[in-house]
Amino acid sequence: MKKLFLSAVLAAFPAIALAQNAPTGNVQTGKQLFVKHQCYYCHGTTGQGSRDGRRIAQTAMNLQGVTNYVRKPTGAMPAYTEKILSDKELTDIFAYLKSLPPAKAVKDIPLLDQIK
Amino acid sequence: MSAEIWNLIRNEDWSLVSEVVFQSFWPTRLWDFTKHYQFIGGHGAYGVGYGAPAAVGAALANRKYGRLTVNIQSDGDLNYAPGVLWTAVHHNIPLLNVMHNNRSYHQERMYVADMAARAERDVSKVDIGNAISDPNIDYATMAKAYGMFGIGPIENPADLGPALRKAIDVVKRGEPALVDVVSEPR
Repeated sequence: MKKLFLSAVLAAFPAIALAQNAPTGNVQTGKQLFVKHQCYYCHGTTGQGSRDGRRIAQTAMNLQGVTNYVRKPTGAMPAYTEKILSDKELTDIFAYLKSLPPAKAVKDIPLLDQIK
Repeated sequence: MSAEIWNLIRNEDWSLVSEVVFQSFWPTRLWDFTKHYQFIGGHGAYGVGYGAPAAVGAALANRKYGRLTVNIQSDGDLNYAPGVLWTAVHHNIPLLNVMHNNRSYHQERMYVADMAARAERDVSKVDIGNAISDPNIDYATMAKAYGMFGIGPIENPADLGPALRKAIDVVKRGEPALVDVVSEPR
């Protein structure tokens, strides 16, 4: 009966099942791969973003969303296929991005806060 | 870096004599441009090496008006005609040079990375021929070699404001100065 209930819950909320099965990456390895694969060229060393790449620190996308985008991006970014960036490496990079601190509010940066 | 410079020049009669594209447009996003001479604009092409000589020329034009002339100088660009530092010293041209030192020909590096990924080739190798490191160039020492006040490399953001203040004091005395700032790629 318990098993039946759990199956019913997972069927009703597939996100729970996905989250439980999602691979987890290594933050330190992800940081090294972020540099090795030159992601920082456009996105900045802490994923803060620049003229050439969006802010990706603490990305709102889940791993599947990031993977889909990296494999088939829609903007100026070139596609990174599995041949040059594996799913495992991407999982580690995703863990690194999720580990980064959020952007500070302007009011918390004195130099910016005084620019009106 | 752009916010730190603005904090120190905002109450001066200033003039920016360099491109802003390599700093993700931060000067034009943060600074209050109200006069025609406050921005020299771009170089109209993608040649490298125009920035430093153009800045010295613009600073010479600004000298008789007593303007505080600021050049945010790309490191790759400076290596094409570094003798212009001597020119600025020799002719007593007041100019604040702030190095945007990302230790690379970064525009080219991004392009090569783009092409490598599109060709499914190893992106990690694009630093070859494009990174300006191993050894890192000490631009403050380079400035001193040409007789110019030089300070840096600045790697701690907390050191940047005080270094800029010292350099601006030199420029206000009618001399050029250079602050070497190790920076993000863009």
